Amino acid sequence: MTSAPVAAPPALSATALTKTYGSSTALAGVDFRVAPGESVAIMGASGSGKTTLLHCLAGIVTPDSGSVSLATATGPLEITTLNEAGRSRLRREAFGFVFQQGLLLPELTAIENVALPLMLTGTDRRAAEQTAAMWLAVLGLAGYESRRIGQLSGGQAQRVAIARAQTTGAAVVFADEPTGALDSQTSAEVMDALIRSTTDRGRSLVVVTHDESVAARCSRVLRLSDGRIVDEVSAR
Amino acid sequence: MTTLRLAWLFGRRSVSARSTVILPVVAFAVVTALLLIVAGGAQAFFSWTDERAGLYQVLAVIALSLLVVPLVALGGSAARLSARRRDDRLASLRLLGATPGLVTALTVIESTALAVAGAIAGAVLSLLLSPLVALIPFRGEPLGTSILLSPVWIVVAVAGIGALAALSAVVGLRGVILSPLGVRTRQEAPRVHWIRVLITAGVVALVITAMSVLQSVADVGVVIAVFAVGFGGSIAVLNLIGPWVLRMVASGQARRARTARRLLAARAVLESPKAAWRQVSGVAMTSFMAVLAGVGIALVGPMGDSVDPSARELIEDIRTGVLITVVASFLMVACSAGVNQAAAVLDRRDLYVSLDRIGMPVREMNAARSRAILSPLRITAIGSAVTAAAVVFPLTGMSLLLSPLTLVMVAACLTAGVLLVWVALRATRPVLSRVLSEPSPSL
Repeated sequence: MTSAPVAAPPALSATALTKTYGSSTALAGVDFRVAPGESVAIMGASGSGKTTLLHCLAGIVTPDSGSVSLATATGPLEITTLNEAGRSRLRREAFGFVFQQGLLLPELTAIENVALPLMLTGTDRRAAEQTAAMWLAVLGLAGYESRRIGQLSGGQAQRVAIARAQTTGAAVVFADEPTGALDSQTSAEVMDALIRSTTDRGRSLVVVTHDESVAARCSRVLRLSDGRIVDEVSAR
Repeated sequence: MTTLRLAWLFGRRSVSARSTVILPVVAFAVVTALLLIVAGGAQAFFSWTDERAGLYQVLAVIALSLLVVPLVALGGSAARLSARRRDDRLASLRLLGATPGLVTALTVIESTALAVAGAIAGAVLSLLLSPLVALIPFRGEPLGTSILLSPVWIVVAVAGIGALAALSAVVGLRGVILSPLGVRTRQEAPRVHWIRVLITAGVVALVITAMSVLQSVADVGVVIAVFAVGFGGSIAVLNLIGPWVLRMVASGQARRARTARRLLAARAVLESPKAAWRQVSGVAMTSFMAVLAGVGIALVGPMGDSVDPSARELIEDIRTGVLITVVASFLMVACSAGVNQAAAVLDRRDLYVSLDRIGMPVREMNAARSRAILSPLRITAIGSAVTAAAVVFPLTGMSLLLSPLTLVMVAACLTAGVLLVWVALRATRPVLSRVLSEPSPSL
């Protein structure tokens, strides 16, 4: 692997991020950038600060200092200055999320789960479900629209979660251990689906993972230790 | 010994999650306090021996029948909460090879301990409230010390609440014992069969027939027995038809839902129509009887001086009894809704955090949670009240003309009851806020 400086203007960037929880330092001056169509894996041991970094980038928590900037049609948007409602709206409209366990609503059908983020933006349900059906088909789940989550396999459920992260046309998709609960073959299939639906379509992907094979699918790999980036390499 | 040691370890661990312990204890305290207060009132009625005592005793049996359903529902909610809190850990224990006996024993020990603690607190609460309850007037004078139950009955009530908790825990955990994976994955929505409608129609016809021949029976004991069986039958069929009605309504709501909050609320009801019904079922009979009694009082009330003093006293007493029953019923439904919702938030902590992550506003989550309870509650309260009004349709019209105030009072009580439940649901908002504000290492 060799160092690979990113030339394209970033979709999302952060400068000198710091965050502490009590006496514990989670982030100690982290710089970050991801370009459109690029994927970045964040790796590190437990407690190294990788999930905190993802939370700061996604506007889930506010860093103690530093800035996070999102490229929008009207210019750069400084996320750290937004209030809770503003950050919530940003997550709803500009970001997509894939979690380790999928965390889909078990009482909803697959198509309703995928349509939910669009409905939260005020889109009519019929239109939201049309978009959801399209994404389910893209991810190989045509015919599974009416299934409840408990009726799907782990890999299928995770592809539903990936579809949910795409429906609003998110500029950046964050995935936290997206294959953590899957076997190696299903894990590879899910990463295929994730890459296909994000970077292949010009969107940015930020993945927190422990899995080297998952990181190897990304454009760049950042390694964190004690809240600092200790290594940055191109993975492909 | 191993079982007791494991139960102690589980108990110690749950002390750290305070709300999972406090909620069922508070609910059991409310159940016990209301149970003892109502039983004290009934004891006062049954201490009378004059010629009018029989009628008051019939009314006491009716009021008690009406309160049994919400009482059992609240007790069941609290018991299931204390049992369900451990579902996941217990299911994991099963997967690791723990015997069904060990899983059952752990749950029963923990649930019963919480229930007994709550029941003792409730008994103390009922004693503290007894001076106020003693002031409630019936037959022209306060109930007085005749409402005080003997210590034996209080011990029996505490033991009964403990037994109810143990039973609910055993029933609630059958799924874990039979299929630990099934509980963890919630594969399919439960179905409610339409055969319930046919059974309901049959039982209703039987009850109507029994009631219609009642006027020719002179023996008060027989009348009380028929009333008790009639109400028992009505409550039983209400429990049969109720979940089916809620499921049908929620299916329509889920199909028509245009917003996320409406869709989530309807799907939450469809996830378990029986659970949704359990929470509000007490209101069904109360609403039904409140309207019937309200119409009756409204018709007799305006007769003024033409009615003899004892009849006027009876009307006043029925009015008092109806109001107390409606208030107690809604109080229990409100507690039950609050306990269930707080438990649901804690149970689905990760899911709510994930919804927050994807940008679902907290007000949307709260609105969906409230709607999932208030919609079945409205259907139940209004549906039962309208049915009762329809049954006595000509009289309803007359009573509205003769004494609108009584019916307005009944309507106000029902509205206040729905508001009380809404307040209970609002009280669970801090639970959700706390869940969302706590940093989660896995999310």
